[in-house]
Amino acid sequence: MLTPESLDLARRLLAYEAGAGKTSVAGESAAFHVYEKLRRHLCVLAGVAGFESLAARALTLARAEAPSLRTVQVTADGSIQGLRELELQIDKDDGGTILIARLLGLLFIFIGEALTAQLVQDVWPDSGNKGKA
Amino acid sequence: MNSQDKVTIRKLPTGVPGLDEIVGGGLSEFSFNIIAGTPGSGKTTLAHQIVFANSTPERPALYFTVLGEPAIKMLRYQQQYTFFDPAKVPNSVRFINLSQAVLEKDLGAVLEEITKEVKKANPSVVVVDSLRTMVRKPRGGLPEMELQSFIQRLALFLAGWQATTFLVGEYAEDEMRDNPIFTVADGLFLLGQIAERNSVVRKLQIIKLRGQASVPGLHTFRITNDGLQAFSRTFGLTRHKSILPGQRRLSVGIPELDIMLGGGIPEGDSVLVAGPSGTGKSILATQFIAEGIRQGEAGVVVVFEERPQEYTRRAGGLGMDLENPQTGGKLEILFIRPLDLSVDETMHEVVAAVQKIGAKRVVIDSLAGFEMALSPGFRSEFRESLYRMISALKGLGVTILSTVEVDESFTELPFSNYAISFLTDDIIRLRYVSIESQLRKILVVVKMRGGNHSKDIREYEITSKGVIIMGERLTEYEGLITGIPTRLSRSGQKEEP
Repeated sequence: MLTPESLDLARRLLAYEAGAGKTSVAGESAAFHVYEKLRRHLCVLAGVAGFESLAARALTLARAEAPSLRTVQVTADGSIQGLRELELQIDKDDGGTILIARLLGLLFIFIGEALTAQLVQDVWPDSGNKGKA
Repeated sequence: MNSQDKVTIRKLPTGVPGLDEIVGGGLSEFSFNIIAGTPGSGKTTLAHQIVFANSTPERPALYFTVLGEPAIKMLRYQQQYTFFDPAKVPNSVRFINLSQAVLEKDLGAVLEEITKEVKKANPSVVVVDSLRTMVRKPRGGLPEMELQSFIQRLALFLAGWQATTFLVGEYAEDEMRDNPIFTVADGLFLLGQIAERNSVVRKLQIIKLRGQASVPGLHTFRITNDGLQAFSRTFGLTRHKSILPGQRRLSVGIPELDIMLGGGIPEGDSVLVAGPSGTGKSILATQFIAEGIRQGEAGVVVVFEERPQEYTRRAGGLGMDLENPQTGGKLEILFIRPLDLSVDETMHEVVAAVQKIGAKRVVIDSLAGFEMALSPGFRSEFRESLYRMISALKGLGVTILSTVEVDESFTELPFSNYAISFLTDDIIRLRYVSIESQLRKILVVVKMRGGNHSKDIREYEITSKGVIIMGERLTEYEGLITGIPTRLSRSGQKEEP
C-alpha cells in the first residue's frame, strides 16, 4: 500500500522537476527525470544490480495501482523504458507519480525516512526537501 | 636529529569506547589497515564506527562496498546503532558500490573507480568492504597475485592522498601468517568469537600496528546498540599512574576486630574474608563499607548474589544506612550477573564506579558469585583474572575487601577454594565450632602482610547491629580451628568427653 509520506515526497519531486523542466529539453517527462536522477545516485550507493532489483519491485507494485505502467520496463542496467512515452500520453492513473512513490516507499522500508531524506536532499539540494521525507 | 625533528603521527579516534587505549591512543593517520575476522565478528560495524567518528563534509569518509552484503541492507542494519548519524550521509559519509566493476571487469577497474572517487572527494578515511569477496571471484590467472598487486597499488595511492584506509575481510588468524597481502598493512585487527558451552565471547587482537605500541593480548569486546565496546586487558588504566597507598589503618567498623588487625586494615590492602555460608561475611563487608562512609570515604560494593535494593534493605536492618550515601554520591552498589561476562567487562564497570565517586573502599561480595557471573571460558583463568583485577584496583589506591565462601571442614582450615590467598595481603577467617552442644562462630586473623596482628581466636555473634565480638580469646578450648574443640580442665588437661 502506498504511504501518504512517499506519495507526498514523490509529488513534491515531480513538481520540482516539472518546474525545472520548463527550461530543459521539451517533451521529457518529470517522472522520467526524477527516476533518472534517483537511478544515477542509487546505482552509486547500491550498485546497478541493487538498484535494478529495487526498481523492478517498485514497478511491479506500481502496476497494480496504475495499469498504464504495463508497457513500462526496467532494463538490466536499471534504466527505464516507456515512462517518457507514457507521460506524453494522457496519464489517466498518474502512473509516473505512483512509480516514483513506490520507489521512495521501498527506500523508506529498507533504509528509513531519515536516510532517504538525506539522499533526496543530496540529489535535489535546491528543492526545499531538506529533512523532509 | 633530535626528538623534536621527528614526525608526529596524529592519532584518529576509533569511535569505539575502550579501543583507543588498546591501539595506543588512536589510529595512526594515513595508515593502511586490515580489519579481519570470521563472519559475524563485527568487522563491518567496527569500520562504520571508525567512519562516523572521523568524517566531516570537508574531509568525508568513503565507504566502498564490493560483493557480499548488499549496500541497502548494510545501511538498514548499521543505522540501528546509535553511532550511525543519518545526517552525515552522504555529505560526510559516502557509500559507493563497486560490485559491477568487480563482476564485469577486473581489479584494475576497481582501483580506477576508487582512484576517481578519492580524487573527487578528498576523503580522510577510506573503507573497502569486503576484500575477501574480491579474491574469491573466479577469474583466470592467479587471483592472489592480482589481489596483492591491487592492494600494493591501492596502499601507495591512498597514502599519497592522505587517507587512512581500512580493508575489511573474512580471514582467520592462520590464513594471515603466510599471506603476503598482510605485509602491506600498517595495522592488522583481528576480530573473532569464541564459543564455550552455551556462551559466546567476542575477542579482539591487534596483531600488528606500525609505529605505536598497542596493548598486547586478546581483548574482550561486546556489541550492543551502541556498536562495539572494547575492554582492554589493562582495564583502561594504561596511562593511569599507580597511586601509592597512605599509611593509615582503615577501621572495619568492629572495634575489637580493628584491634586484632593491629589498628585496622592497612590502606590499599586486599583483604579476604573467608568462611562458610551464614558466618557473616557479607555483614562484615557491609560494616567495612558503612564505616568508610561514616568517615567520609566513598565506597563501591559489587554484588552478584543479591540485588542492590535487597543489599541496602538488609544493611538497614542492621542499622546501617546505605540509602542516603547512594543518592549522595558516596556509594555505588553494582549488581553484575549476566552469566557471560569477562573479568575485563566487570572491571570496566568497577573502575568507572570507583573513578566516578572517588571511592576509597571496594567490596567484592563474593568471589564465588563473581566466578559464576563469568562466561565459562573465563572461569578457567579465574585466578589470573583475579590477579589482574586486584592489581588494577590497588593501583587506583583503593582498599579491597573480598568475601569467599569455603567448604567447611572439621579437619582443616582452608582459606578459599581458589588457591588465591597469595593475592591477598590480609586474611580473616570465620568458621563454625561446636561448643557445648551449640553451633557457635569464631574468627581469626590468619595473615597480615603489613605487620603484626592478633593471634587470638575470638568468638563472635551476629546481632541486630552486625558482627559483634564476644569476650576475650577462648583460652579454655583446644582444637578450635578443627571446629570440634576439646574443653581443657583448669589444670590444662583435656577433659573426658
